[in-house]
Amino acid sequence: MADETLVPVGPGTTDPLDPTDSFPTPLPSLGLTVEQLEALLFVAERPLSRREIGSLSGVDREAVDSLLGDLEVTLRERGIRVTTAGDSVQLATSPDAGALIARYIGSDGVRLSPAALETLAIVAYRQPVTRGVIERIRGVDSDYVVRSLLHRRLIVEHGRADTPGRPILYGTGFDFLERFGLTSLDDLPALEAEAAMRLSE
Amino acid sequence: MTAPAVEIRFADARRPEDATHVRLDVFDGPIALLLSLIEQRQLDVLTVKLGDLAGAYLDAIARIEGGRLPLLSSFVTVCSQLILIKSRALLPRAPAPLVIADGDAAEVDPEEELRRRLIEYRLYRDAGRALAERLSLGVALFHREQGVAVAAGRAGARPELSAKLDPQLLADALAASVRLVPPAPPPAETVARSVTLEERAAVIRRALLVAPKLVLQELLRDVHDRIVIAVTFLALLELAKGREVTIEQSEPWGPISVRTRAGSANGRAVHGR
Repeated sequence: MADETLVPVGPGTTDPLDPTDSFPTPLPSLGLTVEQLEALLFVAERPLSRREIGSLSGVDREAVDSLLGDLEVTLRERGIRVTTAGDSVQLATSPDAGALIARYIGSDGVRLSPAALETLAIVAYRQPVTRGVIERIRGVDSDYVVRSLLHRRLIVEHGRADTPGRPILYGTGFDFLERFGLTSLDDLPALEAEAAMRLSE
Repeated sequence: MTAPAVEIRFADARRPEDATHVRLDVFDGPIALLLSLIEQRQLDVLTVKLGDLAGAYLDAIARIEGGRLPLLSSFVTVCSQLILIKSRALLPRAPAPLVIADGDAAEVDPEEELRRRLIEYRLYRDAGRALAERLSLGVALFHREQGVAVAAGRAGARPELSAKLDPQLLADALAASVRLVPPAPPPAETVARSVTLEERAAVIRRALLVAPKLVLQELLRDVHDRIVIAVTFLALLELAKGREVTIEQSEPWGPISVRTRAGSANGRAVHGR
């Protein structure tokens, strides 16, 4: 490109000057069906973001969303569920199979102290939340309990707050959902309505 | 305070939702304590006069073991709020008694503020208990662990769009493999020189024949093989066990002096490797 003329970039061609283009040729769109989406999630064995699914298959965001919705409905009759945390989705076993799978894997249930449980509840229902908010609600230093929940991956860091000191924001991820048999945060048991209303006054 | 003595019962509850269990360790805070005092009396958080609990609260924190002062400060804060609430309740209500006149920030009623904290705390405590119940239901979900597929992805198993693999390549690779140079035979095994206790005991005995006393460190001054040093030391212990020699060391890392024991048979065998 010595003469600096612009080369048209289209399907099948790449801009050699674009360092963000890691593939020699953009992948042609494959389209996506519910069955293909299920197969992709099945083989991924890790959470996939909607963006990732979109760019792999070449379909847009709305299509991915609606296919995920369809897959969710399809799987309701089956032993597999779609779990959702943030922008990512993953396949997991259904809650009904929990005891059986736990026995197969030999996994012990998680044991949590009352302090860990109430801290986890604050993070789960109010996320993203800083340690300061947790401590204000509990009225007690929560450094240890937050670190212990982080260590057990029941809570995860969700970036930093845009406030002085830029404190770490905490939220929950797939591990939390799976431990408690939830496919998404929408499945969280509702908070006591009266108290919640009083607080929002 | 003429209030009846507070009975804080420990781990006494039959059902978790009416637990009166009051644990004052680093995990349970001042709000948790106040809430449990209210629930223990089967009072309603929404309506209870918080000032009336000041006495019970004082009693309860008096039971916190000493040596927990840093923790205690957060309890004392709530305590002082309770006393403030109580004393206000005793005073005839003057119109807006302590208005902090900075702008539009109207003074928050300390009782309502504390009540709000109690309700908020209870909300999440109960939510935590509800979550705990789910844990015991055996409803956990499980995902497939990362494994083969990811490893394949990392190894570049992305479907190739242009060039297809020619099966002939595989046949050629097999043919090529027979021409590979066979791996070199492993080097002959090296057998370590063995050092026996007997051998090293003899060295010590010989040294003790020419001098009444020897210092182990001096005997081993020119020995650099750690095995030899260790075996010599073991041989020395064996000799001491057989009551042939006495060992003395006045301080850690100090010289270890060895003497022949009076009347011992110097030629006694030391058994060992």
